[in-house]
Amino acid sequence: MCFGVAILHSTHIRINNIPTNMASRKCSQQSRGDGDKYSVLLPTYNERENLPLIVWLLVKYFGESGYNYEIIVIDDGSPDGTLEVAKQLQKIYGEDKILLRPREKKLGLGTAYIHGIKHATGNFVFIMDADLSHHPKFIPEFIEKQREGRYDLVSGTRYIGDGGVYGWDLRRKLISRGANYVTQVLLRPGASDLTGSFRLYKKEVLESLVERCVSKGYVFQMEMIVRARQLNYTIGEVPISFVDRVYGESKLGGNEIVSFLKGLLTLFATT
Amino acid sequence: MATGADRAVGMGLVGFSLLLFSYYTIWVVILPFVDSDHVVHQYFLPREYSVILPGIAALILLLLVGTFIGVVMWKNRKPKVA
Repeated sequence: MCFGVAILHSTHIRINNIPTNMASRKCSQQSRGDGDKYSVLLPTYNERENLPLIVWLLVKYFGESGYNYEIIVIDDGSPDGTLEVAKQLQKIYGEDKILLRPREKKLGLGTAYIHGIKHATGNFVFIMDADLSHHPKFIPEFIEKQREGRYDLVSGTRYIGDGGVYGWDLRRKLISRGANYVTQVLLRPGASDLTGSFRLYKKEVLESLVERCVSKGYVFQMEMIVRARQLNYTIGEVPISFVDRVYGESKLGGNEIVSFLKGLLTLFATT
Repeated sequence: MATGADRAVGMGLVGFSLLLFSYYTIWVVILPFVDSDHVVHQYFLPREYSVILPGIAALILLLLVGTFIGVVMWKNRKPKVA
């Protein structure tokens, strides 16, 4: 169950030691020439250690499943050298697979998506966290779900089926469930997990949603789903496991709770 | 699977809600149709309380939420730095 720790210890790799058979293997697996290309947007900030791991995992799961993809790294001027690491990864995996679209400073998630989409050549876009809390192994499930129902957006959910969270204490879980309940009551969104950020969008759907959204943080993800329902887009769900950051602090304080409530009430009043 | 302690809390919450729900349902829905000299009535409070108690509970909830928000916003007030 210890995804985070297991990944970090067992696949600890230095950049110049990536097995070359991985990098140079050219679609010797089944290649599905059906024209769909998936762009993965990775907004990063100080993810120097996680970035090689997540790129390796993405390459692995996309490679095995044969779907066409590209990874767009949007670094917001990380002081720890994330961009350097990204450049080295680009040399290993190729500039057609890893695109760099850095920005000068931390400008926020919504604008990172807008920036990333402008250069995306795929017709589908994945958004996910670059800190390994979202595991790329779910990507094929997202893709299959989307094809199955021809959904405009597929959302990873922690609250149904096999979905869940690893690494949260009781207080955090209660807060999460409480928030989700209040949101369901007020907004009736038709999706079980509103604050999750592991999603697959059709590119034009993501574009139209991002330009309509006005909030920030947790509420931004919620607003995307609420607006999607408003515009009658179809939403599919895939259970995922969320692994909370194994290292570093990620506390949820009173501040976040209050701004979440404010955002929720704003959404309630305006949609 | 959630850890033992978490599951215990969860079960506790579910059990408590079930009890509360059953008690309240019997009190408000069933008892009016039971003869007033039946022994079961002694286990339930006079009927006015079936409105007063939830009212007080809602009030306390609002107070707690309001206080929480108030305390957080109070702690957060920063004089604007020039």
